[in-house]
Amino acid sequence: MSIFSTILVFAVTPLAVVIVIGALAALGGSHHRPDRRYRPGRPYDFAPTWFLASPAQVSPALGKTSGAQALESGEHRQVRPGPVGGASDRW
Amino acid sequence: MTVGEQQAFISVGEQPLTALDHPGGPTLSEQPELTMSAESIAALDGPFSTRQLLRLDEALRVADQQTGLTFSVYLGELAEPTRESAEQLHRQLEGAASAVLVAVSPNQRILEIVTGSDARKRISDRDAKLAALSMSAAFAGGDLAGGVLAGLDQLASHAGRH
Repeated sequence: MSIFSTILVFAVTPLAVVIVIGALAALGGSHHRPDRRYRPGRPYDFAPTWFLASPAQVSPALGKTSGAQALESGEHRQVRPGPVGGASDRW
Repeated sequence: MTVGEQQAFISVGEQPLTALDHPGGPTLSEQPELTMSAESIAALDGPFSTRQLLRLDEALRVADQQTGLTFSVYLGELAEPTRESAEQLHRQLEGAASAVLVAVSPNQRILEIVTGSDARKRISDRDAKLAALSMSAAFAGGDLAGGVLAGLDQLASHAGRH
């Protein structure tokens, strides 16, 4: 094997493979969606969401209620069904 | 008459067999949004991945079925005072007496669990506080979906079967 072919096989070819794989990885990495994970202390800027097993269970008397609208509709007060319980916490 | 012709004959003037309004166009596996409501699409833009949303949906359904109560999770800002606004949200649920609302405000770092008057007999305030503690521990670690799932599971198991 001449010097030239030795360099070609043992240096240039591996280098080319590394460059191709690196380029593919960099391309693939840029397609990731932005990090949506919540981290305490970082701002959380998503629209309010209300999860229910069946969305029809939110009272239609108050109209279409996404969470934000539901919060704003203070004037439509319903009769309180009774004392409510529960708990609060902070983190 | 071929099967295709028969189907075409049956579907004339009836409701379409798929969620597609018109024949042709993209298939449902290409564009699953076609079968989803506006709320579902909005939820996909939220902080949860599709897998987490599916697990949350499953947890809510299982909790509702097992206990006979109505569980719901609200994720977003709560107006001050937060307790009152959470109770106001709870009042909007159908059958509020047997409804349990878990309201989480990640920005304010506040968690409110509201149980209706009937649900309160099944889930005591102490049980609710216990679930709230484990949820806020998960939230403090940045695990919103895990905390909500764990909390729902605890609340449902405290409520017992109906």
